[in-house]
Amino acid sequence: MGTYLLRKSVSFITVLFVVSLITFVTLQVLPGDPALLILGTESSPQALAALRSRLGLDRPAAVRFGRWLVNFVRGDLGESVRYNIPVSTLIRQALPVTLNLALWAVALALAGSVLVGVLSAAYGERWWGRLAGVLSRLAMAVPQFWIGILLIQLFAVKLQLLPAGGFADWRSLILPVLTLALPRTAVLINMVQVGMAGALRADYVRTAKAKGLPWGKVLFKHAFINGAIGVATAAGIQLVQLLAGTIVVEQVFGLPGLGQLLLNGVLQRDLPLVQAVTVLGAVGVLVTNLLMDVILAFLDPRVRFD
Amino acid sequence: MKYTLTLIVLAAVCVLAPAAAVSGASLRIAVSADPDTFDPTQAVAASTVEIAFNIYEGLVKAAPDGTLVGALASHWEVSPDQLTYTFTLRDAFFHDGRKVTADDVASALNRARDPNVSARWSDFALVESVEGSGSEVVIHLSQPNAAFLYTLAEINAAIYPRDAQGLASRPIGTGPYRLVEWRPNQYVRLERFEQHWSGHLPYYDEVVFRIIPDQNSAVLNLLSGDVDLIPRMEASVYHQVAYNPAVKVEAGPMNLVQILAINNQRPPFDDIRVRKALAMSINRDEIIYGAAWGFAQPLYSGISPAMSAFFNDSLADVNPYDPERARELLREAGMSGLHFTLTLPADYPLHVQTGEIAAQQWKAIGVDVDIELVEWGTWLERVYTQRDYDVSIVGLAGRLDPHAILVRYTTGNSRNFFNFSSSEFDRLVEEGLRLQGPERAAAYKRAQEILAQDVAGIFVMDPEQLAAMRREIKGWAHYPIYVLDAARLYE
Repeated sequence: MGTYLLRKSVSFITVLFVVSLITFVTLQVLPGDPALLILGTESSPQALAALRSRLGLDRPAAVRFGRWLVNFVRGDLGESVRYNIPVSTLIRQALPVTLNLALWAVALALAGSVLVGVLSAAYGERWWGRLAGVLSRLAMAVPQFWIGILLIQLFAVKLQLLPAGGFADWRSLILPVLTLALPRTAVLINMVQVGMAGALRADYVRTAKAKGLPWGKVLFKHAFINGAIGVATAAGIQLVQLLAGTIVVEQVFGLPGLGQLLLNGVLQRDLPLVQAVTVLGAVGVLVTNLLMDVILAFLDPRVRFD
Repeated sequence: MKYTLTLIVLAAVCVLAPAAAVSGASLRIAVSADPDTFDPTQAVAASTVEIAFNIYEGLVKAAPDGTLVGALASHWEVSPDQLTYTFTLRDAFFHDGRKVTADDVASALNRARDPNVSARWSDFALVESVEGSGSEVVIHLSQPNAAFLYTLAEINAAIYPRDAQGLASRPIGTGPYRLVEWRPNQYVRLERFEQHWSGHLPYYDEVVFRIIPDQNSAVLNLLSGDVDLIPRMEASVYHQVAYNPAVKVEAGPMNLVQILAINNQRPPFDDIRVRKALAMSINRDEIIYGAAWGFAQPLYSGISPAMSAFFNDSLADVNPYDPERARELLREAGMSGLHFTLTLPADYPLHVQTGEIAAQQWKAIGVDVDIELVEWGTWLERVYTQRDYDVSIVGLAGRLDPHAILVRYTTGNSRNFFNFSSSEFDRLVEEGLRLQGPERAAAYKRAQEILAQDVAGIFVMDPEQLAAMRREIKGWAHYPIYVLDAARLYE
């Protein structure tokens, strides 16, 4: 267990270093001057030079990366070049939005897919089982922003039930979470069906039924748990994708999440902001993967850490 | 049990979600970009100025017709040699309750012209001294400059308390509204300032600028009632609100010059016949209807009709629409097989659509055009800074004074990415600073003529600003600069 943790920590740090290096190099290579983007075309050459100097852009790239690395290790994420406030403040404001979106979307997708998937696997020959299958294929094919705009049109404009955008309170999250969850529910339903179909064919299920166990118990206590491994893995992957992939939904609903922050940072060539958000994203991915390993070990007693 | 743990974590995370309720006689405005900083020595982004117009004031401020009215100065006098400006201050208060003194004014203006402090100090380079005492502020210039008064109306000449700190996120001005809360990427919240010097209080207690980058989202927010006003709606989404009885759209000139920029120094564009040929094959009506849905006025030179005092209205026939003549000119120049790249800024749908229509119009006279879309940061780097382009398109921002608009085309100017050069033009622009009244207007009208005759670029149109708002909102006025005056709105 000790060596496992040590190896994991070393690979964590290596990945984070590589991610920050690649991000830095990419922004260097990308054409675009942050000073000009900030001051605009009506500014004077002297003003531009002064700002570049203030931002430390006139120093060699290696020096700038080194300084950023040293500060990062000390916990100082630096100041945003565009907003002139600490990057940590910006991230702290954006993080709850994205976390809520991602976690609730996966939770909703899991709940929905389990319900529909299990029932349709058990009663697959019935017409509504097949209908669920068709609808889920449809939901997977439709683009997110289109679903989002349709939902806004229906619930915000026509029915006036929910806000059309912005982040005022929990009601602002209902439509975006729904938009994110729909295609993912479809994917997970598929996985649940496959997992359940495999499990239901197994011998121990026949034994349980023969023993006289109620059908409900057979479904959920035995078949589902074993089919759940595939679903849990898929949900974990989706969560990881969502941590960085909420940008389209954030744009459509005007939600100030990490996706928006990162996009604006790149467009403005705001190096400290982009570096911090990408490294944070990498941390999120690594931590989620680790959590998935732990959960998988819970679910499947055959998995061991070594 | 494994799942309850996850559920508990989820519930805990939701507690982190902050709530920000907005209610009362509140005006919610959708803007597409975040401000960058509210420090007048730094702030230059257009999105910042739009909002800051309500927070800060200078000695003078702009009126909707482009003229200047007194703000912190009740009146002023200019010496006959145009070198001394004497301003008489009126009684006014800052947002923190302190009275505005001549010291504050002098301090703010001296900081604005200090190279170590201000990003736009060069705008004030001709100021020799600023002195304040009692209720007067006296400014000495090193040479006459007709544009100087307009410089005092801009954000960089805003007045703030002399010992103010942290203005970037906590501005202290004298305007009709004061900043109460700014959440980057979310909103900027302003509250009515009860002690404004005019004694006239704006209707809305509170103004919230909501940052909504996507135009479709902004329109949906307007239709659902979550937003009251979209000050700059794109023509491409106009039809979504056009027939909605709850919404009205006010259209007015923007004082923006949209130009098909030609790289004057790159062959074959250094040959005026080639530039003229390109200019004479552009059908502006097609572009005005195809890209701007009819919401635009055609332009033939660098100044928009919105600047009525200086606009030269006789230039429509300098490069008239004549595709046959255009083909002839290309043949004369030996460029019948002309092939070039049109670089378009992807962030501006209006310019992209204009470019696409122009490319088709050029194809009709046998010119082969490759369209290249670039993102704004890249456009600034490649086209604007390095001037590495054939033909491009951009909108040149409106300014109050014609000098600021025309100086862009002078030889060697840092903004002259067109690489245009005409010594007569340079002379006229320089002279114009020292002239006044009709003589000044005449100089600038001749300067516009040169821009058209020498084809510095192809001036296409001044697109109208479309302000979409709830039908009940009144008092809207268009300004020739990128600002929004919330204090004049009411219901």
